[in-house]
Amino acid sequence: MAISVEQFGRTYGTFTAVEGLSFEVASGEIVGLIGPNGAGKTTTLRALAGILRPTAGLVRIDGYDLVEHPLEAKRRLAFMPDEPHLFEYLTVEEHLRLVARLYTVDEFEPRARALLEELELNGKERALPGELSRGMKQKVVIACGLIRNATTLLFDEPLTGLDPLGIRRMRTTIAARAAAGAAILLSSHLLHLVEEVCSRVIIMDHGVKVADATVDELRSHADLHGAGTNLEQIFLKVTGRS
Amino acid sequence: MLGASLYIIVCSARNRLRVRLRRLREPRYLLGGIAGLAYIYFSVFARMRPSAGRQARRRAVGGSGGDAEVPVLALAGPAVVGVVLLGATALAWFAPVGSGLLDFSESEMQFLFPAPVSRRSLLIHRLMRSQVGIFFGSVVAGLLTSSASGLSQLRMSLAVWMLLTVSKVCFAVITLARARLASRGGGALLVAWLPVVVNLAAVAAVAAAVFRVFSGGQVTGVREAFGRMVAAATTGVAGVALWPFVVVARPLFAPWPGPFLRALGGAAMVLAALVAWMLYSDDACQDAAAAAAERRARGPARRAATYRVRATGWTLAATGRPEGVFVWKAAMQTLRLVDGRGVLRAAALLVALAVAAVSVGRPADVAAVIGVCMTGGALFTVLLAPQVLRMDMRQDLRHLEVLKTWPVKAPAVLRGELAWPGTLITAMVWAMIGVATLLSSAVFADVSGAVRLSVGAASAILAPALVFAQLVIHNGVALMFPAWVPLGTQRPRGLDAMGQRLILLGGTWVLMAVLMLPGAIAGGGVWFALRGFAGPAAFVPAALLCTAVVGLEVLVATELLGPAYERIDIMSVERSE
Repeated sequence: MAISVEQFGRTYGTFTAVEGLSFEVASGEIVGLIGPNGAGKTTTLRALAGILRPTAGLVRIDGYDLVEHPLEAKRRLAFMPDEPHLFEYLTVEEHLRLVARLYTVDEFEPRARALLEELELNGKERALPGELSRGMKQKVVIACGLIRNATTLLFDEPLTGLDPLGIRRMRTTIAARAAAGAAILLSSHLLHLVEEVCSRVIIMDHGVKVADATVDELRSHADLHGAGTNLEQIFLKVTGRS
Repeated sequence: MLGASLYIIVCSARNRLRVRLRRLREPRYLLGGIAGLAYIYFSVFARMRPSAGRQARRRAVGGSGGDAEVPVLALAGPAVVGVVLLGATALAWFAPVGSGLLDFSESEMQFLFPAPVSRRSLLIHRLMRSQVGIFFGSVVAGLLTSSASGLSQLRMSLAVWMLLTVSKVCFAVITLARARLASRGGGALLVAWLPVVVNLAAVAAVAAAVFRVFSGGQVTGVREAFGRMVAAATTGVAGVALWPFVVVARPLFAPWPGPFLRALGGAAMVLAALVAWMLYSDDACQDAAAAAAERRARGPARRAATYRVRATGWTLAATGRPEGVFVWKAAMQTLRLVDGRGVLRAAALLVALAVAAVSVGRPADVAAVIGVCMTGGALFTVLLAPQVLRMDMRQDLRHLEVLKTWPVKAPAVLRGELAWPGTLITAMVWAMIGVATLLSSAVFADVSGAVRLSVGAASAILAPALVFAQLVIHNGVALMFPAWVPLGTQRPRGLDAMGQRLILLGGTWVLMAVLMLPGAIAGGGVWFALRGFAGPAAFVPAALLCTAVVGLEVLVATELLGPAYERIDIMSVERSE
């Protein structure tokens, strides 16, 4: 399994953000992580990216324990956060170059060119983050994540700030990476996107997993019978907000 | 609007106080608060007692000399402050800075601008809001007055409050009037430029008067200089031009109660006139506020715009040690940080020093002045630059979310973060030591060349040890107590934050002493052993050994701090932001 999470838990002082979370994501699979605000999605993604240390449980990337073998695990994953944290003094191209050096990416030039083209960042190679719009910054973060051949991609609200064309391209990009064999975990509040792109959905609420199935399975689940046909209606029913 | 304005002010102040009090539950803020209170007590209140004692001693002695200058100062003070105020207002017409009074906050613009509120009311609201800060500043100024008398402190607080309020309104008036300078049409243009012309004419009149009185003959002392300044500021056209400025400054120097109250009344009249002028200029308020809002909205971008992409000829190599990435990253930041004003200021300072040296009639001593400045500069840079220049982990903690995902070992991250600022500071120090050593014969004429050269070389060798030792301490503290460390350009406010800074500073010095001790002992031993036959040259191997020992300690420290980086919790960093 590309991503393996066993009984993961994370507390902040006395507050439990996530508790007893277990799931797996296989190569080529796109899994949606959804839940209301404060459900623990971002905490989970940050822990999977190696930013937060779990207070309980195990997190493995391609079989490497993120706590025991952090470097091996991190080499295999790419995390694209919802808030683009860029170095304000490095240009777009230099961000890509920096990531390429850190992850030992071969053939940087053609890869970078292709990515800039794919994400419509042509002509912005020498631009500093201060000269970019929110959406473009988001694209730079995504480009930094995609420039290397990561086997595991973690997206936290990947479409924030993107224009309609950018959103469409992003959907295509995510699907293409999964088709190429990457395991993708995607957190989003855009349920129609999750429904369209993801092969499986994990619903979290109050720090625990309340559902883990395909949308069809959720629809046919006895408890959810009559909730509705789309993911939004199912989500509202599962989280008790209908 | 008055009620709403008061409501905003009271609620904001109350909530701010609540937050400050609530955060005292956390030990770091409680300790900081205690340290801050202790600092305030010992630096302000405790000073009053010796001050009273000094006064008693002065009374016992009879108080000659110094006392005689008090009336002169009281007489000349308003004139001197008035001239400064006049010059500041003249500069304000051309300086690209606006009045803080018109810097409406985001929330003010969102809630008050669309509300059915007149522009005059908005200005009054801003004026009322500014009173909180001015009041605090005035109280502090009163407390700092070296007097045991509460009445005297109240007098000073009132005078400072009046001066700050008038200055605030005056600069707001100028900012508003400046917006009109681009008016079209002959009449409007004339009206718009009239205040500028009057202000500049006043400056010219005062400058001419000051030049006249001071070119009349050699000034024999401070007292005479003050007397001449009073003569220039109170007679003729200059007296008329300076009158409103002198009136505003007069409460600072007037004795209690009658003269002070009269002076305060005069200043209040000037304030009333300025407020009336500001309210009359309210039509420009929206534009000026919009410009301020635009500046504010451009805040992050403007900061980013201070970086300029230029060809550096340094492209990050595709392979190499991970530390190199951090060095390159920080170097790009340095090379792109365009701060022409800083360079200009430094150049102006050097020129001023040279001019000062020449004007005192001893141009031959310019070398000595520069030599002393370079020695002092090197010392200051070694001791303060590692604290001030935060191009390391203290800055990158804001990017922890990115850094933590990189497949780089923690000690390598830390070494990489230290490498560039350490190199940069060392290079600066070496340049200063080099100049100081070159000019040392002018400064230390009695010291032999061998000693000067040896001390210069030893200082240059020791500099990196001192710099890197401090950097590793600062970065170690940032990793172990991230919530205590202000990130990037942050300046946390409050008594507790001030106390935290004091505790950190003290802790850093203690750690620095501990870190330097083994090197100092080893280096001292070498010097002691070699001084007999090597003479002053023994300083050099001693410094080399000391630097080597400290360098080793720094490397070990980066390895030991690795787990702290691994453990660091992003939440504690975010909470501190």
